[in-house]
Amino acid sequence: MKNFQQNLKKLEATDTQVLGVSMDSPFANKAFADQIGVTFPLLSDWGGEATHKYGVYVDEYKAARRINFLIGKDGKILEEQVDKDAIDPKKIVDACERPKLKS
Amino acid sequence: MKKSTVKQIGGWLGAAAILLSLASPLAAETKKNPKAAPSLKVGDVAPDFKMQYFDGKDLKDVSLSDFRGKKNVVLAFYIFAFTGG
Repeated sequence: MKNFQQNLKKLEATDTQVLGVSMDSPFANKAFADQIGVTFPLLSDWGGEATHKYGVYVDEYKAARRINFLIGKDGKILEEQVDKDAIDPKKIVDACERPKLKS
Repeated sequence: MKKSTVKQIGGWLGAAAILLSLASPLAAETKKNPKAAPSLKVGDVAPDFKMQYFDGKDLKDVSLSDFRGKKNVVLAFYIFAFTGG
């Protein structure tokens, strides 16, 4: 999440809203956001409905795997990053800065 | 070896086992075996959702459809609050 925070200005400049998601409660997520200095919303998928819908639930963790989706204004998935590759969001930041997404 | 030393070593091993089991979600993440690719692919329509977050005062609703035609959205799923990344 911190890596997105570091790139937040760049992302916002390309009309991109960053949303973190986990199965924690909204209050745990707020405390987490404050602790690590994240200013974008961390959404609470309490019960895991979205996590299941997006197919990212992992039985072993009883939680989501680490995964980033970039969703365009038309609602379609433009990029995804999975597990270890999802730690550095560069691929997504670069995609947002491509001219066609800026418009 | 004294009996108490043996007992202490046993205690340390127990503590180590507990720590290892706590660390397992992260250990599992770094396993070499690649997991299955996500079922949603680039080009697919992202499913709509409604989730909440706490802004410090109120609980706010957020849906993917709020951003349709207005903004790109990054959805960053993470395992648990208070873990790295």
